Amino acid sequence: MNTKRMWISRLLPSPSEYFEDTAEMEKNYRYFSRRLFVLLLGLTMTPLIIVSGLLHYQYQNLLQKNELTQLVLNLEQSQNTIERFVSKLQSIIKFVARDDRYEELRNTEELKALFVRLQQEYPDFADIEVIDSSGRQQSYIGPYELSGNDYTQQNWYKEVLQRGVYLSNVFSGFRQVPHFVIAVSRKLPDNKGSWVLRVTIDVNTLQRYVDIGVTNSISDVYLVDAAGNLQTKPRKYGLIGEKSVLLHDYGLTEYSISETLADYQQLLVKNADVTVVKTPEGNEVLHAAIDLQSTPWRLVLVKDLYLDGNAWFFFQLRLFSIILGCILLGVLILLRMSHVITAHIRQSDRRRQHFFLEAESANKLAAIGRLAAGVAHEINNPLSIINQKTGLVMDYFEMTEDFKYKQAMEQALNGVQESVNRCRTITHRLLGFARHTDVMIEELDMNQLLQEVVAFLAKEATYNQIAINFDLDEGLKHIQSDRGQLQQVFLNIINNAIDAIGNEGTILLKTRMQKEDGIRITVVDDGPGMSVEVVQRIFDPFFTTKETGKGTGLGLSITYGILKKLGGDIQVNSEPGQGATFTIVLPLVQEQQ
Amino acid sequence: MIQGKILIIDDEVEFASTLRQRLALRGMDVSDAHSGTEGLEQLAGYKPDIVLLDLKMPDMNGLDILSLIKEKYPHTEVIMLTGHGSVAAGIEAMEKGAFDYIMKPVDLRDLLVKIEQAAAGMEQTSHGQ
Repeated sequence: MNTKRMWISRLLPSPSEYFEDTAEMEKNYRYFSRRLFVLLLGLTMTPLIIVSGLLHYQYQNLLQKNELTQLVLNLEQSQNTIERFVSKLQSIIKFVARDDRYEELRNTEELKALFVRLQQEYPDFADIEVIDSSGRQQSYIGPYELSGNDYTQQNWYKEVLQRGVYLSNVFSGFRQVPHFVIAVSRKLPDNKGSWVLRVTIDVNTLQRYVDIGVTNSISDVYLVDAAGNLQTKPRKYGLIGEKSVLLHDYGLTEYSISETLADYQQLLVKNADVTVVKTPEGNEVLHAAIDLQSTPWRLVLVKDLYLDGNAWFFFQLRLFSIILGCILLGVLILLRMSHVITAHIRQSDRRRQHFFLEAESANKLAAIGRLAAGVAHEINNPLSIINQKTGLVMDYFEMTEDFKYKQAMEQALNGVQESVNRCRTITHRLLGFARHTDVMIEELDMNQLLQEVVAFLAKEATYNQIAINFDLDEGLKHIQSDRGQLQQVFLNIINNAIDAIGNEGTILLKTRMQKEDGIRITVVDDGPGMSVEVVQRIFDPFFTTKETGKGTGLGLSITYGILKKLGGDIQVNSEPGQGATFTIVLPLVQEQQ
Repeated sequence: MIQGKILIIDDEVEFASTLRQRLALRGMDVSDAHSGTEGLEQLAGYKPDIVLLDLKMPDMNGLDILSLIKEKYPHTEVIMLTGHGSVAAGIEAMEKGAFDYIMKPVDLRDLLVKIEQAAAGMEQTSHGQ
């Protein structure tokens, strides 16, 4: 909890520390804005990126599994189709070569009749021959003039005698047409050995059944023998009779399915072999192979990897574009948000700072006011005595005849009296500054009040060659306020302006409505203006720029106090050499306190 | 020349005595008291026509003394001496029956004008009677 608070408070700007250092504060706010931005960015973007990454990974896995499942299903289907077809061919040949038909089929005419019947059903049967128990050809129907061949030394003959049935690899033979052979052996009666019926079949038959396996998702299907020679015509990868091109090693593949395979072992058909291989073009493809039962062949399915293809690439492109778009949009919004939040905090800090300074100023004024009243009261009594004593001495002088130094002494007494009068002015002002006089509210016309005050000062202004001009709003509403105190306020301000200008200059008095519920009076002089330091202290009691003895430094403090009491406000704008502008705002109606 | 007796009640001895001397120099019949109690005693013995009364004294409040004077000697005029610079206190005193008020330090010319006015008022009243 504690660390948390510390962490958060470290993030927030602390205006109290740098209350008066505007540059430091500004740095502080910029720092806050940056940290807020980074924090918000982290909070919003981290889940976005994590979720997107997870989704991408999961979807990829799902696709991979789906792809494998489909491949395995296709493999099984093709395997079943081809195995069933081969098995059917064997059955037919076994069926026509019944044990006791040897004698019948030795006859070429009979064999031909059988061949014609078989060809009606299977046009791809190329030839048929009968071999006797000594391995010699007895009859032959086919495109060649074959007779009396001796097969005793050939492997296939040995195999068919041993196993009863033989299925050959695909080979081109004399006709240069790829074909394969099915042979069956049958016992002769009375243990006189076995005879063999051998049929050659064009590979087209097999090709048709293999091609059934080609679908949209499977790019190639073909058969290979144990040595990897192609038994049927592939669509893409290699030529019939040659070695399969996919058996060559074209380098390591980037794509791995071992993990998925391990997860989905139960999916795989027994003995099936699924790998990822590289094509001569450098593409990676899924390669699934399985041995076909009762044949010397192996079935191969080749499938383009979806994840290696364009569709997947464009899916990824779209996904990353959307994420990137979201991030960019987020960055823009969060930048704006941090900016707005910082501006908001900055503004409320400034307001607080302003209130603090106002309160401080008000407190200072009140304390000084009390002090001033006490001092003034204490000084007033001895002052009264000095006043009366000098008066008495002067009375005696008047009644006395001329004597040496009488005139000089009278002058000295006059000086004392003048000083007393000056002191009296000061104490009276001090007391006026501190006292809480009742406010007498009446309805008054500010334009008229200003003209009255100026009339009072006209003589002094003319004497100093200062023009006092008016720019009065004719539609200015009457306000409810204290006439006497406002007279004192404007007397002070205009008097100060005259003193500031000295000789030759202009003072402009302007009145305007301030929104709906107040009026604004501006007093502009073209005097020498004030420095920032002077402007900052101008309402402080006893602060004066006038020569010693000319000002009490209380005029504007009293003015400030009166305006605050009347619910108004006063502000000064000035720069050295630019004159000064006092702006006074007063409410139309006094709020009851 | 102003007729009538004047009593100054003020706790500042030097102020009261000096003012008394100055008024006496101008031919007036003046006495001074330096506390509220002494003032009340003199009121009974000296029987002044005009009282110059300080608003603040250690033993008694000027406004209370004013009330007593107005109660016992309604024809005696009182001019308040306020050290406060407070208009409000002066106004309050006038509401309680004071003839006028004057702020300290007192300018003698102003005070003489007010005394003359008070004396003139009394004469009118007495003539009227």
